[in-house]
Amino acid sequence: MRCGDYKENYIKDEEIFQSRFVKFWLALFFIFLIVFPFIANAYMLYIANMIGFAVIGAIGLNLLTGFTGQISLGHAAFIGVGAYTSAILITKYGVSFWLSIPLAGLVSALAGLVIGIPSLRVKGLYLCIATLAAQFIFGFVFVHWESMTKGITGIHIPPPVIGSFQFVTEKDFYWITLFFAVLGVGYARNLVRSRMGRAFVAIRDRDLAAEIMGIDLFRYKLTAFAISSFYAGVSGALWVSFLKVVIPEHFNFMLCIQYLAMIIVGGLGSVIGSIFGAIFMTLVPEILNVLSDVVKSYTPGMGKLIIPFKQVVFGFLIVSFLIFEPRGLAEIWNRIKKFFTLWPFSY
Amino acid sequence: MKKAGLLILSLILCLGPFSIAMAQKSPTICAVHPFTGRFAFAGIEGSAAMQDVVDMANEAGGINGKKIQYYWADGEYKDDVGIAAFKRLQAQYNPQIMFGQSTGMTKALGPEIKDRYKVLYSAYTMTSEAANPKENPYLFIAAPTYAEQFGVLLKYIVKEKPGANIAFFYSDTEFGREPIAAGREMCKKMGLNLVAEEIAPVGGVDITTQVLDMKAKKVDYCIFQGYVSNPIVAVIKQSKDYGLNAKFMGTFWSTELQLLRELGPLADEYIGVSAYSFYYQEDLPMIKKIREWTKKKYPKVEYRSQSYMENYLTTILFVECFKRADKMSGGITGDNLVKALQSIKNFDLGGLMPPVTIKDNSIPVGRVYRGNSKTVRFDPISDWIRME
Repeated sequence: MRCGDYKENYIKDEEIFQSRFVKFWLALFFIFLIVFPFIANAYMLYIANMIGFAVIGAIGLNLLTGFTGQISLGHAAFIGVGAYTSAILITKYGVSFWLSIPLAGLVSALAGLVIGIPSLRVKGLYLCIATLAAQFIFGFVFVHWESMTKGITGIHIPPPVIGSFQFVTEKDFYWITLFFAVLGVGYARNLVRSRMGRAFVAIRDRDLAAEIMGIDLFRYKLTAFAISSFYAGVSGALWVSFLKVVIPEHFNFMLCIQYLAMIIVGGLGSVIGSIFGAIFMTLVPEILNVLSDVVKSYTPGMGKLIIPFKQVVFGFLIVSFLIFEPRGLAEIWNRIKKFFTLWPFSY
Repeated sequence: MKKAGLLILSLILCLGPFSIAMAQKSPTICAVHPFTGRFAFAGIEGSAAMQDVVDMANEAGGINGKKIQYYWADGEYKDDVGIAAFKRLQAQYNPQIMFGQSTGMTKALGPEIKDRYKVLYSAYTMTSEAANPKENPYLFIAAPTYAEQFGVLLKYIVKEKPGANIAFFYSDTEFGREPIAAGREMCKKMGLNLVAEEIAPVGGVDITTQVLDMKAKKVDYCIFQGYVSNPIVAVIKQSKDYGLNAKFMGTFWSTELQLLRELGPLADEYIGVSAYSFYYQEDLPMIKKIREWTKKKYPKVEYRSQSYMENYLTTILFVECFKRADKMSGGITGDNLVKALQSIKNFDLGGLMPPVTIKDNSIPVGRVYRGNSKTVRFDPISDWIRME
């Protein structure tokens, strides 16, 4: 019976899979992810896809804001850049969907590099405002560069294909989303335990001290912006290929707030927190929708009162989590894990 | 062997009618209403209208004895929530008719409705994309498109003052920009001078620059698009301060009594276009019917908005399509519903609208109304104007 968590070296301490139990539960989770599309209906698969896109986008923002401490209000714009790049490449230049995804990430990363330049001189709320500019600049470009973006009409995107197989339904697209989400999570999990990841955390904790220790602020801050935007771009490209249309109104300011809420509720500076936050912010409103529909069907004529109430409940849930666990869902998860790691001899 | 054959035959005979009965499912309408969010004013009224028409039709015997099922969900006027609600309703009820909440949702679902779901679809939108039977055969709108509403207003202007100076005043949103390109073309064709295009955000009140620009360009008629209330109120109020002598006009969503209340004594300055009659035009048979129903079912309700009228009419057309499709071979399917819709000609609506003929999956007809500050109502100042 385990009664302690003993490690002999740093390599052991930094391992992703800390015990056989972790490997076992993760394997079980992967089996569930593979079986899920065969037991779920189109609606559940739609939500699963949306969670996948949110996970990728939230991890990107968490790398920048949670790990590197650079607050960004331009995340929706970077998602938009990726979405439009992919849509334009596919429809205008005949590039394959599979190639358009990394290219969308790269173009977004480039946009992130440019928008990240002010981070070298300003930080905190000032950086917030500087990144907010991206939201307005790119928002304007999406609407007014009509020869490329088709303005308010938007661009209809054909479904991805492999040979003669078209990824049309939610179930088909689920595999694409799962692939990119697993890739994104895996890369981020490895990145944060690398030299670069530690440099990000050092910059977040005290940038002057980090610079004195030899961390190149210029390089690492811009790298954080580029990687974060790359994730955003991939998320946006997948999202619009799934929806099969891209219009400027998808990338409004509220989307930035939604992503910030995801990483705050999930847990800043935590990869698993990004996943929890994405699931929470996507799934809970849907559960409340389903519940309010059920209550509405049993209380005819009360819809006017019941339906708006779900938003009050959602707001209350977010505030409650922040009050009772300011470090987010990831911290709750850690506590549960610690309890069971040494159970029944935890002290 | 012979016994096995008999067994299979009897199974087919027993289960055959059952499977046919299963295939002939109830006529079902599902809707995603913006019941919360910034378009809730339309969603609450719209959902009530759909429920009322379905209840009326079921009370009158349904579709050849089959009761119409109606289910709805809140889409919060957010595209992702709306699409999720659409998919949820599809998975739960497999309806033959769907109703959506916005232009964005309609555009996003258009290709899937055509290739996969094959359901008759309408929405709280008047975008031209939903009135294009070649591209989107299953989509229709029970109103003129925004571009057609601009056409109605411009036709009215040409009659009143040929060669007038026009300004388009719109929000930099999909809703605001939708009819602008078509409006420019129509101005050219009708010999009107489009002298200004002003842009201001929804709800904006800091519009002095735009008012002064319109004054400098001697604008005779200013047409708003993409707003429900402000900056319309702010522009009309400030135009008095700065000496801009223009007439102000707007399309469907800003032709509502709430705007007249906000304008107060300046309500007479505003002209709107709508495809439907108003709740207070009680001499019209259909309005009379709606008023009686409302009095019976909701005694506390004193007024039904234009959003109610829009959904009321849409649902009447849905019910009519069900009736016609039910008589076709194959019964109520998406394709038969489209055929049924396109067969609607000179369909009498008791004055809610002039007799309806579906043309290119829309109803290109509207009427011009002027605000009345004393009665706080819109009075018709033109006959029904049709766009070709």
